[in-house]
Amino acid sequence: MSEAFAFLNDIVDYGPQILSGLINTLILAGTISVTGLLAGILIFRLTLSDNEIIRKSTARYISFFIGTPLIVLLFLMYYGLPQWGINFSPFTIAVIGFTLNIAAYNSRYLSAAYNGIDQHQLMAASAQGFSSRQIFTLIILPQTLRRAIPGLTNQVALNIKDSSIAFLIQYVDFFAQMQEQASLNFQYLKVYAVTGAVYLLLVSLVIFASKRLETRYAIPH
Amino acid sequence: MTLLQVRGLTKKHDDVGVLNGVDFSLCKGEIKIVMGPSGCGKTTLLRCLNRLQEPSSGEIIFDGEEITAAAVDIQQVRQRIGFVFQNFALYRHLSALDNVKLGLRKLRGLSDAEATQRAIYELSRVEMQDHQDKYPAHLSGGQQQRVAIARALVMDPAVLFFDEPTSALDPLMAREVANLLNRLHDEKVTILCVTHDVTLAKNLPGDVLFLNHGRVEAEAPISELMKNHANENVRAFFEQKAPSE
Ligand SMILES: Nc1ncnc2c1ncn2[C@@H]1O[C@H](COP(=O)(O)OP(=O)(O)OP(=O)(O)O)[C@@H](O)[C@H]1O
Ligand SMILES: [Mg+2]
Repeated sequence: MSEAFAFLNDIVDYGPQILSGLINTLILAGTISVTGLLAGILIFRLTLSDNEIIRKSTARYISFFIGTPLIVLLFLMYYGLPQWGINFSPFTIAVIGFTLNIAAYNSRYLSAAYNGIDQHQLMAASAQGFSSRQIFTLIILPQTLRRAIPGLTNQVALNIKDSSIAFLIQYVDFFAQMQEQASLNFQYLKVYAVTGAVYLLLVSLVIFASKRLETRYAIPH
Repeated sequence: MTLLQVRGLTKKHDDVGVLNGVDFSLCKGEIKIVMGPSGCGKTTLLRCLNRLQEPSSGEIIFDGEEITAAAVDIQQVRQRIGFVFQNFALYRHLSALDNVKLGLRKLRGLSDAEATQRAIYELSRVEMQDHQDKYPAHLSGGQQQRVAIARALVMDPAVLFFDEPTSALDPLMAREVANLLNRLHDEKVTILCVTHDVTLAKNLPGDVLFLNHGRVEAEAPISELMKNHANENVRAFFEQKAPSE
């Protein structure tokens, strides 16, 4: 009983740090979810280019970032770039690294959704006199985004969880703070159980929101 | 008044000629029907006329302008050609009303209120005003087609192209299409209609362009084509059609 009390006491004592860690986690996960979506849309647009060189380079980009462990990329920038005299903050490096990686996955979700849309609509839009840019923004994007909601929101859930590896480049997020906690009070089991539960809660919220979005924006079929 | 003049139009796919020199003209207010065996190039012809597919050679003079020239703003030209596809090709994420409005808003720059007003008028012209808020997935084939027609008409096109307007419909709806096309013809809409539906062709006032292996082999009212015509391909086509009609 007193042991549990001591544990709670520790949490309360370290409350401000833990809270700031949680906020940092939310800031990083939120930022990379937005930049990763925007960059993913851009990459997806490039996969539809009329220019074969652009299409091929885009395909290489996607397979490169899907094939390379993110941690390698983060370490490369964090430990490698300073050798050339280039120094970025952990946050900046995390945002760049995650964005490049997430964009590749998001573009895949969008491409899969694109393959499912009725292509005759696109010909009809051409026949009506729309430019390829208008066809993208008015027809392709609204339909692929809506069809890709499960994949795209799943990626947001992954972003929340995966953002924890940013602690390895000294970004002080929720996980980093909890690790600090554990190393101080040696209550590994309890601390990491609480850590896991918090991530689970955050991810559950995303999944809940995803279901709402899906119902709200489903294309009637 | 000639609206569309086509001369020596060819289209090759990997050295195989699909259109092998098509010549014809279409006058303002005229309705012309394109018929011919499956694979003779009817769909290809329509798509070459607004350069959804690039013709290999030949001239297309539309409203006095040679539209195969590189300098032509083909998007501007396409805005004056209404195209109703075989499977209607409505935008799936938009309601019937928004399907009709999209071109007015984004190509003509009309305000939302103006576009809505015009779109509702056009939908009522094809008796679809009661279904304006439905999505394509919730409309029958015949209803989708009428929305597609309204979407084309709302842009005030100089000509309407139809590709097989009856092939995706049941016979009753197919008869409705004939009525609708006749009504549009009475309203002086110029129409080029591809079909292999003899009943439809018989119920339309215009001449039939008989296409075979990418060439026009005959051009006459359907009654003449069906009456022991001199061209044996024409005879074969209508004889094979006859029992089912
Ligand atoms: N992209 C393509 N590549 C190669 N051949 C093609 C292509 N598109 C069409 N063809 C060929 O061109 C010919 C004409 O096709 P088209 O679709 O114009 O015929 P159609 O008269 O409309 O036939 P249907 O009555 O069956 O609709 C066919 O033999 C077809 O196989
Ligand atoms: Mg066809």
